[in-house]
Amino acid sequence: MKHVIEVRNLCKEYKSLQAVKDLSFEVREGEILGLLGPNGSGKTTTINCILSLLSFSGGSIRIFGQEMSPDAYHIKREIGVVFQEVAIFDELNVVDNIDYFCGLYIRDKKIRKQYIDDAIRLTGLENYRKFYPKQLSGGLLRRLNIACGIAHKPKVIFLDEPTVAVDPQSRNNILDGIKTLRDQGATIIYTTHYMEEVEILCDRIIILDKGQVLASGTADDLKTLADIEEKVTAKVAGLDAGHLDGIRALNNVDEAAYHQDTLVVKYKTGKNNLADFIDYLKKEDIHYDQIYSERPTLNDVFLKLTGKELRD
Amino acid sequence: MFVHHFKYSVITLFKNKMLIFWVYAFPIILGTLFQMAFSNVEHSEKFHAFDIAIVESDTVQNNEIYREAFRSLSDEQSDHHLFNIQYVTEDTAKELLDNQEIAGYVVLTDPVNVIVNSSGAEETVLKYAVEEIAQQEAMIHTLINADMQGAFEAEQSHRNPEEIYQQAMALIQDDTVNIEDVSGEHLSYIVIEFYTLIAMACLYGGILGMVSINNSLANMSNQGKRISVSPAPKAKLILSSVLASYVAQLIGLFILFVYIVLVLKVDFGNHLPFIMLLTLAGSLAGLSLGILVATGMKANENSKTGILISVTMCGCFLSGMMGVSMKYIIDTHLPVLNKINPASMITDGFYALYYYDTPDRYYQDLISLFVFSGLLILLSIVSLRRQQYDCI
Repeated sequence: MKHVIEVRNLCKEYKSLQAVKDLSFEVREGEILGLLGPNGSGKTTTINCILSLLSFSGGSIRIFGQEMSPDAYHIKREIGVVFQEVAIFDELNVVDNIDYFCGLYIRDKKIRKQYIDDAIRLTGLENYRKFYPKQLSGGLLRRLNIACGIAHKPKVIFLDEPTVAVDPQSRNNILDGIKTLRDQGATIIYTTHYMEEVEILCDRIIILDKGQVLASGTADDLKTLADIEEKVTAKVAGLDAGHLDGIRALNNVDEAAYHQDTLVVKYKTGKNNLADFIDYLKKEDIHYDQIYSERPTLNDVFLKLTGKELRD
Repeated sequence: MFVHHFKYSVITLFKNKMLIFWVYAFPIILGTLFQMAFSNVEHSEKFHAFDIAIVESDTVQNNEIYREAFRSLSDEQSDHHLFNIQYVTEDTAKELLDNQEIAGYVVLTDPVNVIVNSSGAEETVLKYAVEEIAQQEAMIHTLINADMQGAFEAEQSHRNPEEIYQQAMALIQDDTVNIEDVSGEHLSYIVIEFYTLIAMACLYGGILGMVSINNSLANMSNQGKRISVSPAPKAKLILSSVLASYVAQLIGLFILFVYIVLVLKVDFGNHLPFIMLLTLAGSLAGLSLGILVATGMKANENSKTGILISVTMCGCFLSGMMGVSMKYIIDTHLPVLNKINPASMITDGFYALYYYDTPDRYYQDLISLFVFSGLLILLSIVSLRRQQYDCI
């Protein structure tokens, strides 16, 4: 598959802090690539380097097979960016904001008008066309932020944590919009620290920490790195050490931990693990409020690779 | 793209309430305060001739120096019209003074007596005028004596004393200190203050330029980040922003001029077109200064604003806006500073309209301002070209 973006051995320092270390990856045409990592892992710095906003000390960046630079206007014309911060003018209403940013790419007024309508429809802002930013909620502002970044129908879109501090309704709207953009043929680079989002959206995921790639692949590929197959979580009050040892001795149990009335049991393999676990609780007359089973998450992968939670 | 960016830059500038206040409202408020403060000063400084009396006597009839002096000072057609004089008896003069119909009266004795009832401005002027006349009389007598002595020594004793006296009178009249306004025009204190206000309004336009450019800089605003990753060339963005800020500022200056001339009734004489032309150049210089500070300095917006205002104020101070003597000091000791100080170029251009017979100095200042602006804008464009940041 054709590579739209190629990053090779990228290095970036902020004074004494090495923000990105020898980072290499590529983005394939038409895919959604997720850059997943905790705050400070180098996701935004990497994107800003790719966009030629930040200078970097080593490595190379090629987009559409050509070297990216601040005055590579023919490349920039095909790129759309949705920054983490809301980047709009308070003095302009919704339509004017989109028109202004779209107009930096599209000269033809008729085409622009059509594109603006499409962007407004995609982000669900039809009822807010003449609203000024101060009249919009946080979620609607985020949607406007996205509309301004993608209205010119770019081939490559960078979405840098677009759902931070967004209500569930707006988040769903944003995620649906991103899927639509992918279906329309855009290549998307999506950064977030919400693992659920990358699992839903991304074709491939790169897990970053301290400016380095920890792992990459599809969500299923990555989950194998967690080295577990099932995780059972139960709310249990007053579990004693003897019972915890009993649980650890059950079939297939790899690890059992009890903290603040929450019992987490991880299984490497096996079937009927949940049924066996409930049988044990009943047999030992241990009362529980909730109990659920899940496949390992990307957080488990991150925990396995770094020894810390993704959101630490 | 140029027109598109220009259009939205104008809209955003006009919707920025803070800018509207500083660029549009503030100079008008300041102008109003100037008018309130200084128009009274000017009115109070205007002198009106006042009534006095001279006690009739033979001395008055015979002393041609006093007679001529009082005639001149009471001539209504003269620029030196100080007194409205009545020639009366001493009793009548006393009565007039008691009734406060005159400021005082003069009795030509030796020495001359000036009688007044109080110590106001008019009484002081009367005393001062009479003392001056007495000194002139003494000087004439000295000159006559010296001339007669000279004639005697030159064996020209046949000269007519009357002739000598007439020559002395002519001499003393020629010798009168003649303060002449070489331009034939009056540059009043309040007009100077309004020139200062206009110059300040020109330079304050730098804030407009700075805000407009900051909106396009990735390290200054989130919108700037988005604009920086767009395919819009930096030179076009800057020139478009400059034009937008310039239009916004010129509208502000036009409103200021309309207000000053039509509402505050400040009289700029027949120089108004030249003043407006210089204002066009001055405001461009102010803008370009703001743009250079915005593009050339790595600091946050508040720091840049502080730097710009400091540079502007410093320039105004050195150009003599806050005390004319400073301009003279800089001209004497560091003239090059006034050549590169836009505030100095603006004020110098204004004053040149009044103090020079030819417009050469005015045009020199005008051209200097345009060259200054062009250089600063060029520097800004070069500094932004291919710019990447170490940190955003």
